Amino acid sequence: MSERHDPTFPNTGIIANREFFERVRSRPYRASTVMLSLLAVGIAFLPVIIRLLDRDTTTRIGIVADDPALAERASGIMRGVLASTSGTSAAGYQFVIEPDRATAATAVGDGTMDGALIATRDPSGRLDFTFITGQGIGSDRTQIIAVGTFAVAFLEWTELVRPPGGTPFIPPTLNVVAGAGPTTGGAPLAATEIASRQLLGTVLVVVLFLTMVIYGMWVAAGVAAEKETRVMELLISAASPRQLVLGKVVGIGLAGLLQYATILAPALIALAVQGPVGQALGLGGAISPPLVGVTPALLLAYGTFFVLGFTLYALIYAAAGSLVSRVEDLQVIALPMSLLGIAGYIQAVLALSGGLSTFMRISSFVPFWSPFVMFTRLTVGRVQPWELLLAYGLLILAIGLVAGLAIRVYAAGVLLYGQRPGPRQLLRTVISPDA
Amino acid sequence: MPLVVAGLRKRFGRIQALDGLDLEIPSGHVFGFLGANGAGKTTTMRIALGVLHADAGSITWHGTDHRRLPRATWGYLPEERGLYPKMTVLEQLVFFARLQGMPADLAAREVRSWLARLRVPEFADRRADSLSKGNQQKIQFLAAVMHDPQILLMDEPFTGLDPVNVVLLRQALLELRDRGKTIILSTHQMETVEAMCESVAIVDHGRTVISGTLRDVKRSTGRQTVTLGVENGEHLDWLSEIPGARVLRPGVDQVELDLTPGTDPRTILAAAVARGLRVRHFEVTDPTLEQVFVELLGHPAADDETLALAPLPEPVA
Repeated sequence: MSERHDPTFPNTGIIANREFFERVRSRPYRASTVMLSLLAVGIAFLPVIIRLLDRDTTTRIGIVADDPALAERASGIMRGVLASTSGTSAAGYQFVIEPDRATAATAVGDGTMDGALIATRDPSGRLDFTFITGQGIGSDRTQIIAVGTFAVAFLEWTELVRPPGGTPFIPPTLNVVAGAGPTTGGAPLAATEIASRQLLGTVLVVVLFLTMVIYGMWVAAGVAAEKETRVMELLISAASPRQLVLGKVVGIGLAGLLQYATILAPALIALAVQGPVGQALGLGGAISPPLVGVTPALLLAYGTFFVLGFTLYALIYAAAGSLVSRVEDLQVIALPMSLLGIAGYIQAVLALSGGLSTFMRISSFVPFWSPFVMFTRLTVGRVQPWELLLAYGLLILAIGLVAGLAIRVYAAGVLLYGQRPGPRQLLRTVISPDA
Repeated sequence: MPLVVAGLRKRFGRIQALDGLDLEIPSGHVFGFLGANGAGKTTTMRIALGVLHADAGSITWHGTDHRRLPRATWGYLPEERGLYPKMTVLEQLVFFARLQGMPADLAAREVRSWLARLRVPEFADRRADSLSKGNQQKIQFLAAVMHDPQILLMDEPFTGLDPVNVVLLRQALLELRDRGKTIILSTHQMETVEAMCESVAIVDHGRTVISGTLRDVKRSTGRQTVTLGVENGEHLDWLSEIPGARVLRPGVDQVELDLTPGTDPRTILAAAVARGLRVRHFEVTDPTLEQVFVELLGHPAADDETLALAPLPEPVA
């Protein structure tokens, strides 16, 4: 039995064109574009705001030394060095002498201390230092500490060895040990770099999630509204379910992309200018340019994840929209899909904070979650090229499968009025569309 | 026959919507597609359009399976009315015409021409939700015919229209028929069918009960209707006592009788003359389509109780 020849084009294009202009001309579209732009700019400026609110935060460093005099001296010298090096008041640092290394390490581990500096003297009299880093101690502060240890060692040498006649000055070694917080190859990431990457990931993942759910709901609401107004009866005689579903997804997707560009452009500009803005607010050089991590490749990967992720979700939303007779009924049926997206979003947020579990690594390949989780992994630089390609491949495969199912559900769903099909009927619909 | 429906079957779960439906519809005719609610009319139309798939049977147009026909072969006015509420009339009619393969500029010209013919040219730039229900229905009718389809499926096209618009729409449909279009008219308005349709079919529970030319269908029951008019205000109640005669519309000077098959109408005239009445009017006609419909679908007109309202419930003390 042959089926009617219904080529995808031009009807899909005609439907997409109608959907696009209907969205773009609508008041909710314009209002949400403005609101999301403001939200994205607000998030982009978050580090400046946080630094502004956090300018009086004190970094507590524990000092441990073989003898109490050395500990006292080291504490004093470090305070002086930090005052001159960091360009900020030494009041931002507090040094506390700890009795032993174990106590100091515990304090770093439980967050009581931000870091611990352990000074040891070898038999030749040379000082060596170990710096245990905690949360919030990045490579910038580690470097400042390194300068401080150099000063401590040099002053110790001039005072105790008293040249000439003694041994020559040998610069101290500084062994950095991560007590807590994200690292790269065992070395702590610069705090600003972490902030930058987390910020970038947060902004993009938040916008990705919001837009995918919002645009997905547009698709579902559009289908439900066509049923509610009964214009669906005319539509189904003029176009095939495939043309109708794809046209709606493409049209609303393009409207979404346009809104995306409108939202993201000011946010990226805000990210680019927050360094100068921070300086203007008297925050010194504390805020590094966050756009360091934004490369064209990353944006391309992001755009690809948006297009593929939106397509996948929108297809399901289209099928869901066809199963209700009124737009008001949509919330109930759309909730499970929103939860599916939220599960991926939460994992992405967790991954952003540096906690990448095996489960998250696996879920970064799961098509419904990969737009969030894999992109987050990409943002923090933990992805092999094959992993990215595999995630894309699985996403495309899932889109193909879901499209087939969604079109079948849609074809049957648009004819159902006044009844919400149960799981059994849904299954029957997929197997035999109009049974 | 150009449009042939043969052995069409369709089941929805436990409901057998179509049970071997057969129809033969001549080209260039207005065809009355009649049946009670749930008889399978809309399902048949949806299968023809390709919206639903038949379990068995076929629909062919000049020998070509309906699934091989271009979508634009059909024009469909669904029973459920609906338009995009926020689009202008011009925008949405052009949209639907483009979906059926019409170029946008030609579609726009056609829209304006049709609106002018329906005497509403000013509607072009108005949003659909600013129009009355009846006017929205006219716009939906245009959406069905704009692309010049060969076959028009009209599901209750006159419901909700005022008498003036009914006349307008009837004229439009008859004009389309004169241009060679085949029009399938599904309606419960029997007078309209009698006025417009050359052939009809009555379906029930997914099966064809009767099909043919309007005259053949009306004569299919063998019943006849006699109208007898007399002078001097004579009562004619006694006519119901004649075997095979039943009073349809009683009156003082004039009465309408239904005669069962085999009853000779001349017996009525002879009885009146024998009573010394002065007959001023005597007419033998076929029964109305409504009478045929009621009889064929199991609701004989004699069984008044079947068609009457159920009695009111006993008042609660």
